[in-house]
Order: sequence, then structure tokens, then C-alpha cells
Amino acid sequence: MLLEARHLAVAYGDAPAVWDASLSVGEGEIVSVIGPNGAGKSTLINAVAGLLRWRAGELFFAGVDLATVPSHLVSRHGIALVPEGRRLFTRMSVEENLDIGCYRGQARERRRGTLERVYRLFPILRERRRQLAGSLSGGQQQMVAIGRALMACPRLLLLDEPSLGLAPAVVDRLFEVIQVIHGEGVAVLLVEQNVVKALEIAGRAYVLEEGRIVADGPPAALLEQSHIRDAYLGLRET
Amino acid sequence: MRGRRRLVAAGLLAAGLALGALPTVGLPAFYESFLYLVFSWIALATSWSILSGYAGYFSFGHGAFFGAGMYTTATLAAAYGLPFLWTLPLAGVVAALLACGIGAVVFRVKQLRGELFGLLTLAITFVLATIVLNTPIDGGPGVYLSGVPMPRLVGSPTGTIYLLGLGLAAVTLVTAYAITRSRFGLGLFAIHDDEDVAEVKGVPTFRYKLTAFVISAGIAGVAGGIQAMYVSYVTVAETFAITVPLYVVLMSILGGARHWLGPAVGATMITASLYAFTGGESAVLGRAVVALALILVILLLPDGVVPSVRRWWFTWRSGALAGGEGRAHRVDHRLDPGAASASRTPLAVTPRVPAVTSYGDAAPGSTAPPLLECHEVWKAFGGIQALRGVSLTIALGEIVGLVGPNGSGKTTLINIISGHHGADRGRINLAETRLSARSAHEIAGLGVSRTYQIPRPFTHLSALENVALAATFGPGRCSARQARADARQWLAFTGLERRAEALPGELNLHERKFLELARALAARPRVILLDEVLSGLNPTEIASAIHLIREIQAGGATILFVEHVMRAVLELSNRVVVLNEGEVIATGSPREAMRDPHVIRVYLGKAHAA
Amino acid sequence: MPSLTLLGQSVISGLLAGGLYSLLALGLSLSWGLLRLVNLGHFALAFLGAYLTYHLGTVLHLAPWLSVLIIVPIFFGLGVGLHAIFVRFGVTEFTSLLVTFGVTVIVESIIQLVWTADFRRFETPYATASIKVGPLFVPTLELLTCLTAAGLAFATWAWLRFTYVGKALRAAAEDPAMAAAFGVNHRAQAFLLSGVSAAYAGVAGGYIALISTLAPSQIWAWLGVVFAVVIIGGLARPIGALLAGLLIGVSESVTMAVVTPAWAPLVSFSVLIGLLVLRPGRV
Repeated sequence: MLLEARHLAVAYGDAPAVWDASLSVGEGEIVSVIGPNGAGKSTLINAVAGLLRWRAGELFFAGVDLATVPSHLVSRHGIALVPEGRRLFTRMSVEENLDIGCYRGQARERRRGTLERVYRLFPILRERRRQLAGSLSGGQQQMVAIGRALMACPRLLLLDEPSLGLAPAVVDRLFEVIQVIHGEGVAVLLVEQNVVKALEIAGRAYVLEEGRIVADGPPAALLEQSHIRDAYLGLRET
Repeated sequence: MRGRRRLVAAGLLAAGLALGALPTVGLPAFYESFLYLVFSWIALATSWSILSGYAGYFSFGHGAFFGAGMYTTATLAAAYGLPFLWTLPLAGVVAALLACGIGAVVFRVKQLRGELFGLLTLAITFVLATIVLNTPIDGGPGVYLSGVPMPRLVGSPTGTIYLLGLGLAAVTLVTAYAITRSRFGLGLFAIHDDEDVAEVKGVPTFRYKLTAFVISAGIAGVAGGIQAMYVSYVTVAETFAITVPLYVVLMSILGGARHWLGPAVGATMITASLYAFTGGESAVLGRAVVALALILVILLLPDGVVPSVRRWWFTWRSGALAGGEGRAHRVDHRLDPGAASASRTPLAVTPRVPAVTSYGDAAPGSTAPPLLECHEVWKAFGGIQALRGVSLTIALGEIVGLVGPNGSGKTTLINIISGHHGADRGRINLAETRLSARSAHEIAGLGVSRTYQIPRPFTHLSALENVALAATFGPGRCSARQARADARQWLAFTGLERRAEALPGELNLHERKFLELARALAARPRVILLDEVLSGLNPTEIASAIHLIREIQAGGATILFVEHVMRAVLELSNRVVVLNEGEVIATGSPREAMRDPHVIRVYLGKAHAA
Repeated sequence: MPSLTLLGQSVISGLLAGGLYSLLALGLSLSWGLLRLVNLGHFALAFLGAYLTYHLGTVLHLAPWLSVLIIVPIFFGLGVGLHAIFVRFGVTEFTSLLVTFGVTVIVESIIQLVWTADFRRFETPYATASIKVGPLFVPTLELLTCLTAAGLAFATWAWLRFTYVGKALRAAAEDPAMAAAFGVNHRAQAFLLSGVSAAYAGVAGGYIALISTLAPSQIWAWLGVVFAVVIIGGLARPIGALLAGLLIGVSESVTMAVVTPAWAPLVSFSVLIGLLVLRPGRV
């Protein structure tokens, strides 16, 4: 297993807490984590990315205990994050944002090749490479955020609610791109509120509710369970 | 408690009279001089903290007002022959007008807070100095006042100045004390913690800041006038030097800038220590030591001496009492992580409902007249269109649930209704009154109240004070005592009565959410906007909260609430409005709206439209 | 109305004076913009550098450029040290204003204790040298200052724009957590930046010694102008600081020629106040 989390507990200020989450992502897998708002999905993925410390449990990546790794060195192991809300460096240009992506040594050497790859995936970014990131539309910003993560040549790509605030057509295109990236051998851990999209693309999925993993398995099985649908729409017959 | 307060007041009065009598008993001029300086700095430091300590707008320009006062007196006395005593009130007025002019412009601009305000006030001091230097007010050589007759209230001139200084210090301290106990002071403290929230809770922030600034400047002006009499030779270099701004900041921070007596304590300590460094090289050394003290105090004792002493005193006293209930009755302004209860305590499930003012007896439903109406509201932030022509109405006494995926514009709508932002286009009415284009505190005054998704309590005020503030600045406009009584009731209603004296930092998340709720209710609003009150609560707590909200509705309130916990939405709402990407895509009864195919598609994605 | 020659001369001297403003503003603009810390001590540091240059020059007879060479690494160390204190005590943007306020007063007092409050002038043989361009005189020292300012400004701009460290600094200034997620060690870089900023102060100090008369109280006189330049030029914008400095220099100079010299200090403060009130979003 590339990523392994065991009984993780993360609590940070007013963010929804994670009490007990165990999950794993294998080499080249796509795994989705779905759950209602406030379940703690973002908290969980931020902990994996090294942005938050966890209070209990273990987190291993490629055999390395991430508890021993300081935040700014996590990326060195091959984890890249596409955060919720994009969090681009708005005062820098598109290409400069991408450059930050390949800041770490090994990625920097492969900059030229990776940059080409990103521009091929998102041709519009090539056009707007010198434009300030803050002036792009939501969908384009999401492209930059994904591109930035790709520039780090990661083994595991973390995506936090990529569809947030985007139009359906844009979301479709985005998920196509994620498939392409996955096709090139990158493992993906995806956290999403759009249940159908998340389950369509995943090889395996987890359901997170109120900080705990309550179900997991192949997407087809989860989709059948009407309780998931009803939990989201509140139509549970009590 | 009251008896003790009377005793303290009597003691202070006695001390004041004793001090006042000193000149008559023939105190040596040296001591009169020294004490005068103490009084003068007490007045300067205390007046500075009225704006900068209480409201948090750190001004580096106190020297400008002091200088304005000094030069007013100097000019009027030397050039126009006005008797000294007459110039003093004028000195105060000139300084106050200067502050009024500056404040009227600066306080309107939202971004001019913090360091920018500090830099601006620093710059203003130099501008004023240059103007004074280059005009006939001074012109360069300074103003000589030795030819002007000194007033003689008592014996010697130094004695008179001593008494004037004492009088000013006394007036300033009384003013500061009165302010900290008043509604005005509470508003200033709220501005310090979170100006935007204070405005939304009904505090007229612009007016309060300006008033504090003017009072502060006026006192500094009078202090300057007296100082002119003291030195009798006024120059720009001395008057507008960095001394005044530096010292008042240090004295207030050292003593405790939020306490009415803090700056006075700091002033006394510093002036006394500085007297050890008189004259020549020592003066320079003294300044360096003062600066070093400032650095050390900021780094090590950021709250100041007075609050720290009080805290140690109370901790010592409560430690000496029986261990069980050992929490200090009045916890001071500092987070105490050790005391925070990490576990979630269950709520009291049967709250007592205080009488909520009913604004009509109409039964909820579409036949009731609309209380809140949004018509075609548009709002964009930069490139992102958050709201696209949103229209909705809420009838009197209804509970309307506002739902939709993340990023659909729900919180933006609440922000606009409550006045946090203005709408780009569109109209919002409360009954017949127009809400849009009003300032947030006016909207609060009309009866609109809200909670924040991530709780934003005033961190330096206790839970009780947080709620009392909303009560006293709400449309009810009750007295301070009534507000505290109401606040206790509302805290009991939300199950927080045992945490009344706690600071928000000591409460866990769900307690803070309920504090938000109590604070919103205390304003006795006509419409309450709840923003994700239930997120983060466990099922038991959610059940209690739902019960609470029903009680609130039963009391006659109208509620618009944003929620993701669907179970609560279905149980509570009379109607549901579904937003997606800034547009209303469905309204109706809860079941109807949530079975709408478009809604299902939006929440779950295409393939799932049942 | 003064003659064209006089006007031309004042524009020249304004530009050159502006060069010194820019030089001072550069370090401050960097630290405020990229570290989000307001360092009032920058001025005191510059003046300390000026006095040290003066002292080394008059007592040890060291050439100014040699003094600067010695001062720069020392000041770099001072900058790193100051930042260490900030980190140790968790100083925020606002408390940094207060703490450095204190530091400035302390340094000013030290200067006054060692060198007294008397005005000091560093006499060098090339102090009066100037180049003649048509009817106008261009003093060489000031020209050198201006050129140094321009050079440093462009070098800094290029550093921020084209190198990885520069981009990392800009990214971390905006969102340190995200920058860290991509490997930027903001903590270490902050020390570097603090040192560089202090080194710039040292260089500026050297030129101050060569051009101006020194007095401890002068520290406060420069404060307003330079802050105006920093804010007008935009935080962490080296070219902006350069241009703003030149602009302010010329405005002051022309005001001095057209109105009276005494009102010149008012120009920069007024521009600053006006800018803060009308366009505060710049900061």
C-alpha cells in the first residue's frame, strides 16, 4: 500500500474533526472519500498532505512514518495537494504558480517535460501563462491548481473537493483529466461532495460521516445502498 | 460587593483631597514639579488608551494633539494676551476638532486599521509639526511665555500648575472609569475584538470610534495647554518629539491598556523610574531604558501589569478557598487552555423559554404577510458571481430552510441581508422598511440578527458580556442591568448558564455555537438568520438544538436558516429554498423541494435523478 | 517663477535625492511585503551604518567602500538575529511595529551616547565633485547613490522574478501553508530575507554618511518619507520603490524651488496620507 492511515484522529480549531479514520491507497489506485458536509473530509486530506497534525493514529506513505516529517518536506516524498478552494498564489502568474509546484529538487529537473505535459492537458493555460492567477475564472483556476500539483511529479495526488463551485460541464472535463493522470500511473485520493462523479471514477471508495469511516468498498456496492442517497437528501424514513 | 466599591471610592476621594491639599501645606517645589509630571502623564496615557486601548486603534499621533494644545495656549497667551486659564478649554477644543477632522475621514475607510492607522497617525504628527514650524504660529524660534502672567490659584505658580494637573488627571480617570462601565465602553471593547461583528450586532462603530478619538484628543490638548504653562518656552522640536507617542504607548501597555487604572499605574511607574535619569546623558539613557522596557513588556507581559496582578490575586484567592468550585468569579482577559473542557457536555434538554416579544399573532404559512423580502439580489466578488437574481420571501413566523451545495451562495445571502456586504443590484425589505443600502448596525437596530457559521464571539468578553452586548445594542435598547439579566436568561435557554463567566476561548465548539445563538436571540430580533448552527454537533445535541429552534419560533420569531443536516431541515422548516450556483432552483415544502429532480441532480449528480 | 535652469537643476537634485530614498525604501519594502513584519528599526539600522562608516572613515581612515564591505555582513547577522527574536516570541505584524519602535529608540540612544547629538559630517575629497551637463551640475556622489539604488532595485526585482527562491518568497508571503505543501521552507527563507533587508540598510547607511549630515534625530525625519515611498511603490515591489523614491524626490525638490524649502517635508507626508485614504488597498 502506498498510503496507509490507521485510526487517524485530527482536530483543528473549528474545523470538523476526524475521530477515527482508517484508509489505504495502493500504487496507481483511485480512491474516493465521500460524505456529507461537516464530516471531516477536508480535515482528513489536509492531514495527509501535511497541513495539519494529527492527535492519534498513524500515517504511512511508502513505508515512511509521516509523523516524523515536517510540513514542508512532505512533498518531497511524492505527495501533491490540490486544495479546497484552489488556494492559488493570486499575485503570481499562471506559469509562476506552476513553477512553485516543481519547487522540490527532483521535480525541478524535470520541469520542461512536466510543463509541456500540463499545457497539453490544459491548452488554455498555455495561452494565459503570463496572466495573473487571480484574474482567471473558477474552472481555469482549478486547472492551474491541478497543474501545480502535477508539476511536483507526485506518486499520490490529493484532490480536495475539486468540483466545488464549478459548472457541470467544467466538472466533467476535470474528471476526464483526472482519469488521464491516473492513466499515467499516479495514485489519486479524492474527496468530493459530488457523490456520483466521485463514485464513477473511483476504484474503491470510503464513506466518512461525522469523523468516522462508516462504509467502504467498490463504488457499485455503495451506490446501491439507498441509505447513502437518503442521508444526503435527508429523505431517510425514520 | 457594593459596600466594598463604596469603600474604595471613598478611599480614592480621600486620597485625591489629600493630594489637593498638599500645595497649601508648603510642599517643596521639586515635589510639586515631580507630581505634576506624574499627573500629566496619567492624563495623557489614560486618554490615549480610551481609543487605542479600549477599541484597539493604536495611535502614534497622541503627540499631535498634545502639541496642538500646547501651541493653542502658547499662541493665545503670548500673541493675544488671553489669560492662561481661559486658553485651556480652547486648547482642548482645538485638539478635539483636529481629531474630529482626521477621524471623520480615516474611520470611514475599512482598510485603515492596525498598522496603517498607526503609521498614518505618526505621519500626521510630523505634518502638524511642519505646519507649525513654517507658519507664524511658531515660525522657528519658538514661543516665549515668560512674559505672560501666571494664574495663582494657590500660593506659588508651581502649586497652581500642580493643582491643574491633579484636576486633569482626576477628570481623566473618572471619565475612563465611566466609559469602561458604560454601554459606550462595551461597544469600544467589542470593536477591539471584532469590529465587523460589533457593527452587525448593532454597535454604531463609526460614531463610537470618532467619539473616543475626540475625547482622547481633547484631554491631550488640555494637558498640552497646561504643559505650555509649565515650560514657558515652547518649541516645535520639543513639543512634537517622539517622546509623547512613545511614552504613552509604553505606559498604557505596561499598566494594562484595557483597564481604566492601568495607564495611570504605568505612568506612575515610568515617571518615577525616569526621575532617576535626570539631565544630559542620563536623559538619553533614560529614553533607551524606556524603549527597552516597552520591548520586554510587549514580548513577555502583553496584557500589562494591572490585569496580570489581578489575575494572580484572583487565582491566589480562589486557590485559598475550597477546591471544588475554585474558579475565579471574574476571570480576567486571558485564555486559559488548561481550564477548557475538552469533552462535549450534554445539553440541558428542557430550556426555559423567556418571553420573546411577539410581533404579531399570525399563524405561519403563505397567507401571512411577508416579513422579509429579497427581490432580484445580485452580488459578485471580483470575477465570481455569487448571487444571480435571488428572490425569496419569508412570512411572519415562518421557518425557512436555505439549502444547497457548498459555494451556492447561502452565506453570501445572509451576509447581504445582515449588512456585512452591500448587494450589487436588488432590493431587500423588512416589512415596509428598506434594508439594502443601510449600515449593518442600523439593520440590527431594525430587528435582524444572525449567527456565524464559524463562531465569532468577542474573545476578551465573557459569555455573559457577549450576550449582554447584543441585548443592549439590539432594538430593545435596554439598560446595562436589564441587559445582563436578559443575558442570563438567554444563556439558560441555550444551556450555558454555568459558563456565563467563561471566556469564549475556554468553551468548546458546540458551546461556542450556542453562545452565537444566545447572542443572536438576545437582541430580540424579528428575523433570525442562522448559519449552519448544527454542524459539528452529535445526534443528541442536534435533537436538543431542534427543540430549541422550535421554541424560538413558538416565541414569535421568524427564522431563515442555512443547514446541511437534512434531517433538521425537514423537521423544522415550513418551507425550503434551494440555491445552486447563486440561483434559486426550487422552493416549496421540504418534501416537495427535496424530491425535485433538479435538486436531486444537483446534490448527487446526473446519474441519480430518481 | 524660477528660471528653467533652476527648475532643471531642482529636478536633477530631486532625482538624485530620490535615489537615496529608494535605497532606504528597498529593504523595508522587502521585509514588510514578504515577511509581513513592519520594521521601524530599518531606519535606525541605516543610521547606525552611516555612523559606523563615518567612524571607520574618520578614525581608522578606511575608504567608505571598504567600510561598507565590513558593515554589510555584520548587518546581515543583525537582521537574522532580530528575526530570531521575532520568531522566538511569536511577534505578529502589529506587535512588530511596537517592538521595532522600541529598537529604534534604543539604537538612537546608543548613537547619541557614543557620537553625541552634534551634527557630524563625513568629509571626503570627492564630496564636492560633480559632472557638468550643459548648464546643470550633477554631483557625483549623489549620482552614484542613484545608480546604486537603481542597480540594487533591478537586481532585487530579477531575484524575485526569476529565481526559485524569489518566487518561493512571494508565494509564501501570500499563503505560507500552501507554499510549504510544495516544499518551500518559509521559516529558513524568512531569516535570509531579514538578513538581506538589514544588509540593504547598511548599504544605504554608507551613502547617507557620504551625502548627508548626521544627527540622531534625523532617524525620525526620514521615517515618514521612506514609508511613503514604500507604500506608494507597493510592498515587495523593488522597481516600484525605485520609481516612487524618484517621484517623491523630484516633487520635494520642485516644491522647494517653487514654494519655500521649509514646506518640502510636507509633500511626502501629504502624498502618503492622501494615498492611504484614497487607495488603502495597495498595502
